[in-house]
Amino acid sequence: MARIAAGDREALRQLYQATSAKLFGVALRILSDREDAQDVLQEVYLTVWRRADRFDEARASVMTWVSAIARNRAIDRLRARGPLARAEPVEGLEIADEGALGAEALLSAADDSGRLGACLSELDKRTETAIRTAFFEGLTYEALARRMDAPLGTVKSWIRRGLARLKGCLER
Amino acid sequence: MSEGPELSDIEALAAEHALGVLSGPERAAAEARVARDPAFAALVAGWRERLSPLLDGVPEVAPPPGAWERIARALPANDNRALRFWRGMTAGAVGVAAASLAVAIFLANRPPVLVQTPPGQAAPLLNASLTSQASGRPMFIAAYDPARKALIVTSLMPADPGHAHELWVIPADGKPHPLGLVAPGTSKAMPMPGTMAPMLQPGATLAVSIEPPGGSPNKHAPSGPIAAVGKLAEI
Repeated sequence: MARIAAGDREALRQLYQATSAKLFGVALRILSDREDAQDVLQEVYLTVWRRADRFDEARASVMTWVSAIARNRAIDRLRARGPLARAEPVEGLEIADEGALGAEALLSAADDSGRLGACLSELDKRTETAIRTAFFEGLTYEALARRMDAPLGTVKSWIRRGLARLKGCLER
Repeated sequence: MSEGPELSDIEALAAEHALGVLSGPERAAAEARVARDPAFAALVAGWRERLSPLLDGVPEVAPPPGAWERIARALPANDNRALRFWRGMTAGAVGVAAASLAVAIFLANRPPVLVQTPPGQAAPLLNASLTSQASGRPMFIAAYDPARKALIVTSLMPADPGHAHELWVIPADGKPHPLGLVAPGTSKAMPMPGTMAPMLQPGATLAVSIEPPGGSPNKHAPSGPIAAVGKLAEI
């Protein structure tokens, strides 16, 4: 990363080789569109090129850092598509009906192993799904509340409590 | 499962920001706080790290062939270093950064940098603000470091598809010499070879002309209108 910050293109190419399949996968998972995902991939490496000097290895691993940039960029793009991109019917969604809530999020439930996955699965299903959906689709509280057909304050308290429990569980 | 401890307000905000559930204005406020409050920034980073294993489960997908070549073509030429260098040299000397919101935001997000000047450096640094003759607004800022033999140029021009912006130096003899192209909104460091360096003296004129892509077909004079002009002076 220090070499990239110093303007070394070869170092950026090596980072690309090591991380691009992961980042393209992340962008594709969030956007479900190869062209958009490729644009995001390009934005990510241009961002890394410009901001490599801000990378702090004490705070995050390289993979975590670049994955977070990829997720943020993909979510920015998803949000930029506007409400039309989510023109799925809201009516008829029951809170208890997890199937309607982010199939995306549910799909990933089986994928991530390890402690976070275990801790997430300890939450009630509704909270787990809300957290996963927020993470992978960049839904704000307002959008989540609409999607879940639940009052904003209720959704906030589910998520806040869920996050607090996650932290407790991860620290055990 | 037990209730578990509540998160403090600041930690809840950090977790919500990392998760991405804040609305636009709340998110902007949280970003601003990350920039000025290291404790909050550390909490956000901690939550990003906590949540990042969610991404581990996402399968890898090989990007399309040619994706790297596209990225490599889009890389600006070391602009991070050039801008930092530029700012270190000219902080306080040139009050034109505000003319470009993009440049201003870029600079505002970085901590101050102190540039150590090597002792015994004989030749002084030069700079120039190149202003539009029509509006009087600065369109380019330039600095020349004789020790490095490099001219650092920042363009504040709006996007101008279909044209190239070519920088010229016009020394005392009045004959223009092309120095290179500067894309709108970018900075670049132009190495000055031995033949050009002596022309960069206090009082020499720098000018930028609007040219067809690739620059003026005539290497001895601009072919298009002059967008901005300024004179080099000691800082």
